Amino acid sequence: MAGTNLLEVRDLTLRFGGVTALSRVDFDVRHEELFAVIGPNGAGKTSIFNCLSGVYHPQEGSIRLDGADLLGQRPSKIAGLGVGRTFQNLGLFVHLDVIDNLLLGRHHLMRSGFLSGALWVGRTKREEKAHRHAVEQVVDLLELSSHRHSPVGMLPYGVQKRIELGRALCMEPKLLLLDEPVAGMNLEETEDMARFIIDIRERLGTSMILVEHDMHMVMDLADRVMALDFGSPIATGSPAEVQSDPRVIEAYLGGAA
Amino acid sequence: MTTVLHEVAPTAAGGSGFETLPSIVMRRAREMGTTTAMREKHLGRWRTHTWEDYERRLVDIARGLHGLGVEPGDRVAVHSDNRPEWLFADMAIQALRAICVGIYPTSPSAEVEYLLNHSEAKVLLAEDEEQVDKVMAVRGNLPHLRKVVVIDTRGIDMADDLLMSLEELEAMGRSSDLDVAASAAASQPEDAAIIVYTSGTTGPPKGAMLSHRNLQAAAEASGEVFAVDPRAEVLSYLPLCHITERLVSCIDAVATGYVVNFGEGGETFTQDLREVQPTFFLGVPRVWEKMMAAITIRMEDAGALKRANYRFWMRTGAKVARKRWTTGKVRGIDKLTYGLGWLFLYRPLREKLGMSRIKGVLSGAAPIAPQVLEFFWTIGVPVREGYGQTENTAQATVTPPDDIRLGKVGKPLAGTEVKIAPDGEILTRGPGTFLGYFKDPQATAETIDAEGWLHTGDVGELDEDGFLTITDRKKDIIITAGGKNVSPSEIENMLKVSPFVKEAMVIGDQRPYLTALIGIELDTVSNWALHHRIGFTTYADLASKEEVVALIGTVVNEVNEQLAQVETIKRYALLPKELDEEDGEVTATQKVKRRAVEAEYRQQIEEMYR
Repeated sequence: MAGTNLLEVRDLTLRFGGVTALSRVDFDVRHEELFAVIGPNGAGKTSIFNCLSGVYHPQEGSIRLDGADLLGQRPSKIAGLGVGRTFQNLGLFVHLDVIDNLLLGRHHLMRSGFLSGALWVGRTKREEKAHRHAVEQVVDLLELSSHRHSPVGMLPYGVQKRIELGRALCMEPKLLLLDEPVAGMNLEETEDMARFIIDIRERLGTSMILVEHDMHMVMDLADRVMALDFGSPIATGSPAEVQSDPRVIEAYLGGAA
Repeated sequence: MTTVLHEVAPTAAGGSGFETLPSIVMRRAREMGTTTAMREKHLGRWRTHTWEDYERRLVDIARGLHGLGVEPGDRVAVHSDNRPEWLFADMAIQALRAICVGIYPTSPSAEVEYLLNHSEAKVLLAEDEEQVDKVMAVRGNLPHLRKVVVIDTRGIDMADDLLMSLEELEAMGRSSDLDVAASAAASQPEDAAIIVYTSGTTGPPKGAMLSHRNLQAAAEASGEVFAVDPRAEVLSYLPLCHITERLVSCIDAVATGYVVNFGEGGETFTQDLREVQPTFFLGVPRVWEKMMAAITIRMEDAGALKRANYRFWMRTGAKVARKRWTTGKVRGIDKLTYGLGWLFLYRPLREKLGMSRIKGVLSGAAPIAPQVLEFFWTIGVPVREGYGQTENTAQATVTPPDDIRLGKVGKPLAGTEVKIAPDGEILTRGPGTFLGYFKDPQATAETIDAEGWLHTGDVGELDEDGFLTITDRKKDIIITAGGKNVSPSEIENMLKVSPFVKEAMVIGDQRPYLTALIGIELDTVSNWALHHRIGFTTYADLASKEEVVALIGTVVNEVNEQLAQVETIKRYALLPKELDEEDGEVTATQKVKRRAVEAEYRQQIEEMYR
């Protein structure tokens, strides 16, 4: 599987009125690949995520995941097709404990209806056990065991970011979108997060798209990088290639230095 | 296929009352096969291993290892956190009459290399990706190593020829018909069963060889001291390569047949303890200090009523506890007050700490501060002290159940002799005395003398009632420029009683006065800083805050008030970082390597003498 394309994005164009947020964006993400998107503020990084997860509806282009067309689908449908994401600003239920937050990530995989859920019989019981098991795998992977029953709002920021990542993993996504996973973290928390991202790739083989400002992290982790400027891709390639590309340097430093 | 192991008669040990640990496991599988031997928290649920499972895994692993060419007398290393597989492997290795070498899970790559080469281990059992990475980084320098058996293969590319999963090894074992029971029974009492590398605070680690007889003697003695029966429950949490945890989780567990629980470890330790609620617990001072600090900090944050309740019952209980130490029992009115305190404070507190079912509690490895001891006795956790070291299979002295004398580590165990050499060194002799250091006859000769006395390296005194006091490690005693002998660890322990102090190292050898390097406890000091609205970023930043330096100053002053003039700390400095094993500043058991730290912080030290 590794090496073949999981996601194919072609000619993606997104406009808000007269403003063009994305213009003819083209890229592929391969199976088991960690693909990073970089660019200055407002370059369109988060817009790409919002197109991929169905929040924005681009005017032109196509997005195909494993052959399925994502364009124009509702976010819930896209989640069901295998796209999981984390948010730049946390989107957790702060009064629920860690396990409940993670279980929410499995909502779209739950099959039993309201009635059998209320009666807690047969299939529902088995189903809940299976989901708890899946959640525990994530607890184990992300080393959350000491926080299992703590209300999320009481936990440190770095741990909350990890829980959010965990919730996305509970969806068993084919493609995981990570929106600035280490924003606002200290050095130690950043290193921990980098380690977890590596673990996810090695153990689960999940393909990931990473949007991140921490260049060290991007260059260390990513297999390939795409640099955006004003909504257009200016370079795509290995971290070293992109880093030394004159257009990228110019975009970051604002003209020849 | 004939092997060396097949030729040995199964009754070699015959009737002498000698039985190796693996033989006992196999006997238990027949006698109480479906009873629980271990419990393990796996993916959030506790699952059990019966004695039959224990035997089956032992046999499969032993056969598998034999298939890899492990012969009697060979060394096999285990590099893993505590988990059932650690013990399955330990027992399997011993059953093959090979020798099990434990490596601390925290040991860095260079130490793994040293230990594998020094022990000449043929096979290494590595727990997971983390430990496999360490050995793979030095694989080119390991001439003796033939195979690395991986317990948890997640995230590891197993295509490498050096690697093999434990599952594969056991499957390989299942197709062999080696008579493991006969092999285990053929062990001789004086054969080495395990090598425990002592994490020397100076020089490279030394491999202490312990025989089957040592282990058996330890099992007999500790079974009595722990006062456990097959219904006892323990939590396995200290590193298993260390003799004390081996004693609790393996040696005595097998000999007595009680249940060993494996929690999730690390940060989850507190919750593990609360879930297991062990009946017997062995802690090191650091664990007791942390538990006590957690309670005191929580109480400071509690409401006024809760706080008053806590203070009142702690004061009252301490009085009762002291009476119990001196008279051995509690009478009339004290019983009543204690009963009330039980209702209002001690019982819920014990429940929180995971001590609600506790019957026996030991503290070992380092001296425990009197305040800490008093705290636990007050809430009805009767901590007794034990003294011992790897070289005597942790068998020397223990506090009698109802005769607590502060600052003393109790009386010699049955069968063990203790005496003080003319130079003050503590000597022990008994069935726990080890075989010697692996490949180091010179060090062995320096440790065990012609009459069989083990030189412990500790300095101490025996009183007329036979109670032992430990002053310090012989080589750590400070002789000041004024010619006074000072025991640094005594002062350090007084400093460490403060919840704000994690580490303390007293300096003053050949110096005009004493000084101390102090490491702050990050959790408690950051909590304190929060309450005092002091902002900080990193550990180094926090430790350099004037207010924090002053806070530690009050701790030092309080300690100084209890000390003789020559023993007082005249100046102190805070460490800019936490001492770390990987930086060679502490041993795997978190003991400070004085020389390394002195060299590292030479500048700070010199400034204190300017």
